[in-house]
Amino acid sequence: MSNIIKIYIPNETSANSVGANMIYKNISNLVKDESVEIIRNGSWGAYWLEPFIEIEKEGVRRGASYRNTNLLHLKTIEDFFLDFEKKNPFDINEIDFIKNQNRIVFSRIGQQDPLDIDYYRKTKGYESLSTALEIGHQETIDRIKSSGLTGRGGAAFPTGIKMQTVFDQDVSTKYLACNADEGDGGTFSDRLIMESDPFSLIEGMTIAAYAVGASKGYIYLRSEYPLAKDFLNDAIDIALKNNYLGKNIQNTDFNFEIELRIGAGSYVCGEETAMMESIEGRRGLVRSKPPLPAIKGLFGKPTLINNVVTLATIPALLSQQHSEFSNIGSGKSIGTMPFQLCGNIKNGGLIETRFDITLKEMIENYGSGTKSNRPLHAIQIGGPLGIYLSSNMLNTSLTIESLDKLKGSIGHGGIIVFDDSVDMSEQAKFAMEFCVKESCGKCTPCRIGSVRGVEIIERLQENKASKEDAILLEDLCETLESTSLCAMGGMTPNPIHSIINYFPNELIEK
Amino acid sequence: MSSGQNNTFEPITLIEPFVEKKGGLMPALHTLQEHFGYISKECIAQLATAFNYSQAEIIDVITFYDDFRTKPIGKNIIRICLAEACQSQNCKKLLKDISSQLNLTLDETNHDSGITLKEVFCLGNCAIGPSVMINETVIGEATTEKIINHIEKDGG
Repeated sequence: MSNIIKIYIPNETSANSVGANMIYKNISNLVKDESVEIIRNGSWGAYWLEPFIEIEKEGVRRGASYRNTNLLHLKTIEDFFLDFEKKNPFDINEIDFIKNQNRIVFSRIGQQDPLDIDYYRKTKGYESLSTALEIGHQETIDRIKSSGLTGRGGAAFPTGIKMQTVFDQDVSTKYLACNADEGDGGTFSDRLIMESDPFSLIEGMTIAAYAVGASKGYIYLRSEYPLAKDFLNDAIDIALKNNYLGKNIQNTDFNFEIELRIGAGSYVCGEETAMMESIEGRRGLVRSKPPLPAIKGLFGKPTLINNVVTLATIPALLSQQHSEFSNIGSGKSIGTMPFQLCGNIKNGGLIETRFDITLKEMIENYGSGTKSNRPLHAIQIGGPLGIYLSSNMLNTSLTIESLDKLKGSIGHGGIIVFDDSVDMSEQAKFAMEFCVKESCGKCTPCRIGSVRGVEIIERLQENKASKEDAILLEDLCETLESTSLCAMGGMTPNPIHSIINYFPNELIEK
Repeated sequence: MSSGQNNTFEPITLIEPFVEKKGGLMPALHTLQEHFGYISKECIAQLATAFNYSQAEIIDVITFYDDFRTKPIGKNIIRICLAEACQSQNCKKLLKDISSQLNLTLDETNHDSGITLKEVFCLGNCAIGPSVMINETVIGEATTEKIINHIEKDGG
């Protein structure tokens, strides 16, 4: 057995987008007998290396980047092995990008076939579900409360408190809805979980459903993620066959099923009330709150709504990793955060780390600077509704609190880097244009104000010194903030304010 | 996989499994579009009858979502990502180049080549942009050449 040589070729959207599938085809054509096994693993999330191909031989696993590489000239598998050695292969766990992270939630990505349930179980998978079934509903919720976990979707609400509210409703039918409508530009942590460790999400959902007393769960997945859809469908099937979903889960009286629902290209459906409307088969118009979804949610029933990463964190909280997670950080910024470093950056990818690292560490140590080698100019944090920071704000710590102070938000953890070729007035205009396109249309300031916003910014692009337009833009932003039902309208001014404040004279001349 | 244009099923056969499902309209719309390539007037009429909605209510839902369409479009759909991470990687220039190369503007279909050009906001491929999705395949570090090659090789 140990003589078998294993070749790992990732099957993941980003890896495939730069040729992993093609390399898989080329290499499988060369494999003629059973001495070589090809494993389609997930991605390690070190995206500048993709497609990162690894060979495991006599217990040693090393890999090399096959970006822009054509293997058609290779005639035999030995040719491939020789070619591989010439690329100076290395152990990915030894590079700083991976070594310096604290991967608790993302500990399995890249390691093995994401649908290998034996591997999942060998690495503590489903131990936490057993624990939950043993300790009962309230104790499970208490442990999640005491862990300090807050929602990783963007709003950072304490997860345990939300669960308690759903659990406390004396109603027989309750639902769980997993928000997998990861629409923020510059984010991919949910996708990476769904494609490279889907069982962690399914186990997390199962524990959460058990804790609050839900017997049906929905995953609302955006349509832009077709590979995640395939992985989730397969993982749900495997979990069913192994009695981790379905009736009498693990010989208890707990029943739980998961239905996958696909979105249809609407950003606002990532807002929880619009998502519920969409699952119910209607236009994704936001609902006013109260009632909170935890009290009256999907189909009028109490509903626990959490984002993918939040749910995938739950298994780690009920195992020995609990104390490791909760001992990290302070205040609201407890545990690890999966940051997604991207845009114009040399070494982009998934960085799971404590919150309180500086932007400088993130961009210089992890990212190794801009991909274009031009000077850094702006960094947008937290998606389209997040603020832009300038290159002299690199000492900013990436905690929930410090972003709050800057009138921004850590959001879903996206960090987008721009070099000095960026036109910040265009970025400000885009914030309004995006609101025009994606507003659900319910609140007038968001629906119409965003159109006016584009016009005002276009005028400012002609004349930065126009006092009249500067005041008008300020008024409009204030109106959007105070009169929109949801974050779409309410937070669209955030990037614009940050450009006015941190990039003087780039949009408005003072 | 390009959007299928298979006409062998009657709409009602495809709709039926979703009628009793809670919130079954969205999956029904997806299924119809997968099979026919778009949601036709006939489909709308049959959906309205099956779900006990007015046709206006069905159209109301269809028109909210970017993915659903009521007219046939190209066999190959190119979606170019115009979200922030791709903006930092010059997606606007890529859009300009690909538009002139294919002689298409956004939301336009060339019925001779069977190509439709659309915009999309984030494909989750943000660390290796600019990104483009051709049917269900995402292309990272996209260039006009890569896109054309892909269509010629796999799309045709």
